[in-house]
This record gives sequence, C-alpha cells and structure tokens, in this order.
Amino acid sequence: MTTLVHPIGAVSSVGAVSLRGRLLQNEVAKVLRLEWRRRSMFIVGLIVFGLTYLGISFFIGGGHLVKDLMVQTVPALLAVTIVTSAATEGVGSIAEELNGGTLDQAQLSPASPQLLALGRMIALALRGLVGATILGLLFILGLGLDIHVHPAALVPAALTVLDALGYGLIMIALTIRVASIGAIVHVGDMAVMAFGGMLLPISLFPHGMEIFARFIPTALGVQALNTTLAGHGLGAIWSDGTLPWLLVHTATMTTLGLVLYVVNIRHARREGGLSP
Amino acid sequence: MENQPAAIEIESLTKTYGSGLTSVRAVDEVTLRVPVGKVFGLLGPNGAGKTTIIKMVGGLITPTMGSIRVGGYDVARQRARAVRLIGAVLEGSRNVYWPLSAWENLMYFGQLKGLRASGIKPRAQRLLTELGLWERRHETVGSFSRGMQQKVAVSAALITNPPIILLDEPTLGLDVDAARTIKDWLAHLARDEGKTIVLTTHQLELVQELSHRIAVIKEGKIIADLPSAELLDRHAENRFEIRVTGSLDDSGPTLPADARVVRDGERTMVLLPGTDERALFDVLARLGAAGAGLVSVQRARPSLEEVFLRLIHSDEAGDARPTKEAVA
Repeated sequence: MTTLVHPIGAVSSVGAVSLRGRLLQNEVAKVLRLEWRRRSMFIVGLIVFGLTYLGISFFIGGGHLVKDLMVQTVPALLAVTIVTSAATEGVGSIAEELNGGTLDQAQLSPASPQLLALGRMIALALRGLVGATILGLLFILGLGLDIHVHPAALVPAALTVLDALGYGLIMIALTIRVASIGAIVHVGDMAVMAFGGMLLPISLFPHGMEIFARFIPTALGVQALNTTLAGHGLGAIWSDGTLPWLLVHTATMTTLGLVLYVVNIRHARREGGLSP
Repeated sequence: MENQPAAIEIESLTKTYGSGLTSVRAVDEVTLRVPVGKVFGLLGPNGAGKTTIIKMVGGLITPTMGSIRVGGYDVARQRARAVRLIGAVLEGSRNVYWPLSAWENLMYFGQLKGLRASGIKPRAQRLLTELGLWERRHETVGSFSRGMQQKVAVSAALITNPPIILLDEPTLGLDVDAARTIKDWLAHLARDEGKTIVLTTHQLELVQELSHRIAVIKEGKIIADLPSAELLDRHAENRFEIRVTGSLDDSGPTLPADARVVRDGERTMVLLPGTDERALFDVLARLGAAGAGLVSVQRARPSLEEVFLRLIHSDEAGDARPTKEAVA
C-alpha cells in the first residue's frame, strides 16, 4: 500500500500545538465574519434589549427609572446579552450550518469537534461582550448610574461569561440532536431574563424563588457581581456561599456543554445527522 | 488492479442506521479498492448507499463494521491524517458558506486543513481565475448563480491540492454550461494532475467519459465493480441498429422474434440483438423485399445507462451476481 503525498506534510509535536492554534484562530475568524454579515440583526437585538430593559425598569419603578435599582439590574442585562449571544445566536448559527451542510464540510478537518466548538464559543463570547459593553456604556454613562468596577468584580464577571458560554454550548449541542430546539432555547432565554436578576435584583426575590434562581444560568454570577460592585471583596462572596456555588455551576455548565457536544457529534456521525 | 497502489481501500464496510426493528442497513459488506490517480465511478439508484460510503470515507459517518484506509491511514484511528488527503463536494449541501465571499471561503477551508494563509493565496488565486470567479471573489457566494456556487464548492475542495477528491453529485442542478465546466475540470484533474477521484452522479455519460473503473451499488451491496471498458463489454447488449424510411406496419416483413422495432419520427429503427452478420443480412434482405428504404446500419455503441439499468433490474430479478475481476 502506497501512502499518498501529504499536501501539508508531516507535523511535529511542536507543530501540532501551532497547528491547533491556527485551526482555533481560523474557526474564531470564520464565526466572527459570519456574525459581521448579520450585524443588522445584532444591532436590532441590542436596541430591542435596551428598550425592553428601559420599559421594564420604568414599570418596576412605578413610572420612574429608579437608579439605585438599575445599578443592581444592569449587570443582569449585560449577562442576558451574553447568554443570548451564546445560546440563541449559537443555536441559530449551528442550525444554519447543519441545514446548509457546511457543518459536514467543517468536520472534514484535522481539528477535533471540541476545538471547533471552542472556536465558535470564543467568537460568540466576543460578540456578546461587544454587545454587553455597548449596552453597559449606554446605560451607565447615559443615565449616570453609579457603578464602579472593582478588580474583585472581574472574577465573578469572568465566571458569569463562562457560565453563559456553558449554557450556550449545551443549547448548541442539543441543536445537533433535537429538532424543536427553537422552543427550548426560547424558554431558556426567557427563564434567564425572568429569574436572572434583570427584572428585579435576585436579593429581592422571595426565598423559594431565590433558591430556584440559583440554578438559572448567570444568576449566581449576577448576584456575586452585585456584591463585588457594591465594594465588597471576594471574601464576602466566598463566605456567603455565592462564589463556591458559582464555581460549581460554571464548571457543571461548561463540562456538560462540552460532553453533550462531543456525544451529540458522535451520535450524528453514527446516524448521518451532520447534514440535512 | 491488485498490483496498483490503492488510494482508498474499503474492506467489508457495513453501515446500519438505527437499531432494532426500525434499523436500516444502508451499506452491506462493501469491499472496494480505488487505485491511485484514477477516476472511480460509484453508481446506484437513490438510496443505494453511495453518499453513505462517500461520507464514511471522509470520516463524516461512522461505519458499523469494516475498515477504510485512505492513503494508507485508517480513517477510524488516524482520522486527522486521512482527512487532510481528501477534498470533497458533498451532495444536497451548500458545501461552502453563502454569507462569506468566494475568497473568504477558500481561505477558511484551506486553513481548516492546517495550511497557512500565505500558502493558500496563490492557489486560491489560480483556482478562482481558472474557474472564472476572480473578478467576483469578494462577493458573497449567496449572490452567485447555482453554477458559480458549485464552482466555489469545487475550488474549496481543491484548495489544499488534495490527492483524493470525493465528488457526490457535483453537477446536480447545474445548467449545461456550468456542468460542462465542472466536467472539463474533472477531466483536467484526473488527466493532468493525477488526482484520485471518486465520483457519484446520475449523469451516466459523465461517468462513462471520465471513469477508469465503475462500481454499481444497489440496496447497499456492490453488484458490479469493473474497469469501465470491461463493464460495458460484459454487460452492454451487442446489437445492430437498422434505420429505414417509413413505418413497418402489420403487412411488413417478418422479423426475428428477438428483434425490436422502434418508431423514430418519419423513420423506423430495427434493433437486432447479437453480432451475427448473417442474421443482419437476412433482416436487411427482408426489409428490402418489403420496400423499406435503408437509411443506415450500425453496431450500437454500448451505453453505460443501458448497462446500469440492466444491472439494476436484473438484480431485482435475482439473476445478477457481483462481478469483479481479479487483475485489471
């Protein structure tokens, strides 16, 4: 048996790391380019989110914008922006690839499914962070909300983003296998909006609902963010149990998302479900 | 053929979708060897298992049983190495990203196989120029005609200069002009660049013109696997085609029982099976005596379509057996 001439040539172990880096960068760039083509949807989404949030805040404030309340709900709005970018947009983009057959082509690569998924999630995170930054600046500077970013807040902020990405990856993984994913992701997003602290700070929820909200993606992160943004250190969110539970929640969501993705890609390969 | 190096070796490949009572065996104990640098036509009716085989070769569908080696690499164990040898245009699929430009697609798919952007650019330029897309390289593929989109898909499959190309219905839905361009390209790739091409299509004249070897698959089983010429020789009907003026009505000549009469406009064609020239002269004499004006006589050129249909239908009757020669 003759081995054909490899178009890329042999890859050393050092080269393998470099190759993985290039493959990851390539995937991130592709998803960002595709998102750029859909930028009008992104802008419309931000406007709708902004107006919805303003309307809700106006309603909750009894006809006024209560800035003290908004200081605690704006972080949840930003978290929701990242969640919808990771989940709704992630589901939409992979569904388009599944239906268009490009997911099949993208798998015809030395890159592992996990690496390609990581590239997709990095791009979606960047998209979500851009949206969150725009909305955050608009509300904080536009309404003069008294929010000061303390270094301690960066830890729960990073974990909240990871938590959102984990949730998004679960939804993306389900898209490969579940036909009615649109309804599922819609219910999920609604739950994050309703119980994630965007309507009311989670600390104002009745006790039972507060416990329930802890299972909702990004809710624990928003709680931890609010505590640290109020000037408390990491010790405070560790001792009240928010940070440990946030770590557990984030680890669970990201692990579950990754495992589900790999399992469902393998299932799709067994059943021929990577294309229409 | 055994002496020729194989680009693809498929051994006892089986694929069953689902499980239990609802399971479907799409591919059943298929064994094939695709020689290096040859065009291999894989034919079969819809649902025969062609696309499943193509996708299993590309590692996109996991076999239930059996093995596939691509360029010597076991697809199950050395998938990353195997897929880098392959470029593919898949059936029923966009193959490329319509919201991206032709240029962006080629850069993406080149880098997806691990090439650096600097190494891809010259080849991308050459491919797009030769396929007449260079001037529109920065336009989104979604704005292209179906033929142009398929050209981009072919370019994306070739961007890494892979030695093996899998083409599943590459001319499906294309107009005559676009299909001709794709066909000319395939001929060029096989003849001038020595690519190994596995081609599935319902355009049998394309397969007949390009393929060195043809396998016919039905209900997941290979029912023929031979060099093209041998397949035609072995399975095509040898016959004479006699064209005469006018129609041969009931008062016409008495023809052999196995002769068939086909009306062709103002003319009539008599199809006489076999190669016996005495039988031919006998029929010509009878036609002449009946006053039919002779227009032409020719030996029928074997058609792959005819062979294909015969194989598929004879297999239905249960009288066909897998045909495979030992040495090409």
